[in-house]
Amino acid sequence: MSRVAAAAIAWSQCGGADCVRLSGLAAGLAAGLVVEVRPELDVASGGFPAMAGRLVRDGDDVCFVPRFPFVDGTSYTIAVGGTAAAVLTRARPQPPASTEVRGIYPTAAEVPRNLLRFYIWFSAPMSEGYAAGHVRLVDAVSNEPLTGAMLPGSELWSADRRRLTVLLDPARIKRGLTAQRRAGYPLRRGEPFLVVVDDGFRDALGRPLCGPAARRYAVGTDERRRVDPGRWTVLAPSGGTREPLEVEFDRPLDHGLLARCLHVTGPGGQQVAGGPEPGTGERSWRLTPVQPWAPGGHRLIVDPVLEDLAGNSVSRVFDRDLARREDRPGPDKPVAVAFCPR
Amino acid sequence: MSEYGLRPGSADVQYAGPITFGPAGILFLADNGSARVLAVDVADPGQAADPEPFDLADVDARIGSYLGCEAGDVDIRDIAVHPVSHAVYLSVQRGRGDAGQAVLVRIGVPDGAVTDIPLDQVPVAQATIGDAPAEDDQRQDVTLFHSGDQGEEVTYEGRTIRLLRRPVRTSTVTDMAYVDGDPGVLLVAGLSNEEFSSRLRRIPFPFGDQVTANSLEIFHVSHGKWETASPIRTFVPYDHGASVLASYTCTPVVHFPLAGLEPGSKVVGRTVAELGSMNQPLDMVSFADEGEEYLLVANSRHGLIKIACRDIDGQEPLTTPREPVGVPRETKDLQGITRLANLNGGYVLALQVDEDGRRHLRSLKTASL
Repeated sequence: MSRVAAAAIAWSQCGGADCVRLSGLAAGLAAGLVVEVRPELDVASGGFPAMAGRLVRDGDDVCFVPRFPFVDGTSYTIAVGGTAAAVLTRARPQPPASTEVRGIYPTAAEVPRNLLRFYIWFSAPMSEGYAAGHVRLVDAVSNEPLTGAMLPGSELWSADRRRLTVLLDPARIKRGLTAQRRAGYPLRRGEPFLVVVDDGFRDALGRPLCGPAARRYAVGTDERRRVDPGRWTVLAPSGGTREPLEVEFDRPLDHGLLARCLHVTGPGGQQVAGGPEPGTGERSWRLTPVQPWAPGGHRLIVDPVLEDLAGNSVSRVFDRDLARREDRPGPDKPVAVAFCPR
Repeated sequence: MSEYGLRPGSADVQYAGPITFGPAGILFLADNGSARVLAVDVADPGQAADPEPFDLADVDARIGSYLGCEAGDVDIRDIAVHPVSHAVYLSVQRGRGDAGQAVLVRIGVPDGAVTDIPLDQVPVAQATIGDAPAEDDQRQDVTLFHSGDQGEEVTYEGRTIRLLRRPVRTSTVTDMAYVDGDPGVLLVAGLSNEEFSSRLRRIPFPFGDQVTANSLEIFHVSHGKWETASPIRTFVPYDHGASVLASYTCTPVVHFPLAGLEPGSKVVGRTVAELGSMNQPLDMVSFADEGEEYLLVANSRHGLIKIACRDIDGQEPLTTPREPVGVPRETKDLQGITRLANLNGGYVLALQVDEDGRRHLRSLKTASL
């Protein structure tokens, strides 16, 4: 070791914090000891400041406890009394995988040919940059990948990075665009496919998934109509009870938007507190109120941005045909559906 | 600091963002994680400094040495110069992803000593950005880079650039500036949760309830259309705070009047310059030299650009695609400048990245620009 004299310099813990521990110091040396820790850098670092931290006496040892955590995979030079005494490298831990795919949405068995997006929910926050390599669409019969189906270069994560939104290439869905004319729709009617997430997808700690996940879909006809809450069936609950309000849609709706685009107001216009829940296949929605239903008129309020699986919303169709009267824009303000508890 | 409403507390910042100095050495820090602006008394220990130049090589590696990480793990998001001591404050994100941590770093002038300002027990006040995009807002904000390893590499018309797509929440605040007055006003540019989402907010300081905000519309010359969604990337107060000069991606420079604005109304800017497509404005400062005011625009594609403000005053609004491109501009042979701050009367401090990706602080003498 060095003439300054620590018999051992090693990673350790001090008071529950990571530290560099210097042990076997010559008697009396610990008192005025100058210990400096610097990360190894790519540039000549003469005159650079030492890492911020404090020295803590721990029995006969001295511990350097950093103010900012040591970085995995980084090497640190420990100088004692101005002399380099050791170089320590933080290991890159690889704990066992524990993150899994919680769900792939939509959960409908059949999607329209012009499906716009799907969602993958993970059980823990994920790393960015893996979607292109580890999420794919494959033909359910041949297992061949559907190349070019997904929009390249876009990874849409929820703020907690547990939900990934994957877009199919809109340029292949909108009629008349060059990509659509040349390559056709990403999906083919009557040809089932799988959404596959393989276990190489890394979570936020860099660990692979516990295992792969997949969901199979049949492909139906195109969906080109605006979402029209007037076509829904509202099953009014019994007044004075906490029975859920049930709303049945005329087609599956978008899983992500469903979570935030519907709410209910009571006779005074106040929002009814409760637990919303999308139904099977995103074809329905229910709200179980916290308090029993009050008598009088209630309203289901629909945000006009609510979309179906093909990206058609209450306010507009995704792919407008200017010649079609029914493709004209709809309401751009919230739409109310009235009901009265029985 | 109680006269400014600051009380002891924790200034917990999730993501390092724009910073700027206000009155009495108070530093404003934007946190796009929590959609707040914090006012912090940094209690700068320095003495009043003479207007001397200040240069410091390898500033990212020096900060990395202090923070115990490699230079690549030091993301310098903004710089600000203390108005009295001229110490340099840097808004730094240390590390990436989950391990990322916002740190406020101070570099002493002239000694170059690196320290940090602990934010867990400081005099602090806060203003919440009420119309910030939600954390799960799926819209994306796209920025351009000409170097580094962020985002994806794409080639347009034979030119390779990098595109970084981030949730719009991360652009809640893109730049800030303080205008002195009674009360003073903190100008805050960025995105909101609305469809026409480009916003300029005015927050009186000391912080109260009266945040006013206006949505912005500009004519984008290189895109050839009117736009409301893209945020201001960088701006400077102009005409003693009666207006601002702002720049946008691909790179219009736009004048917005502030006087007499109705809160909530849409403000239509006067586009005065087009600095070219596939270009990201990175920072702006203005300075005076021999009685004339000038604007400097650091940008990703060209050298540092200098514009005389008298040309801006006389410029008719640009409203046609591609050309004309507006006021005369002078492009300096100063490449790789990513951040600017007024150092003192005679110098502008620049954060400059060299061809090897190393970052340096460098003083530019305004009389020589």
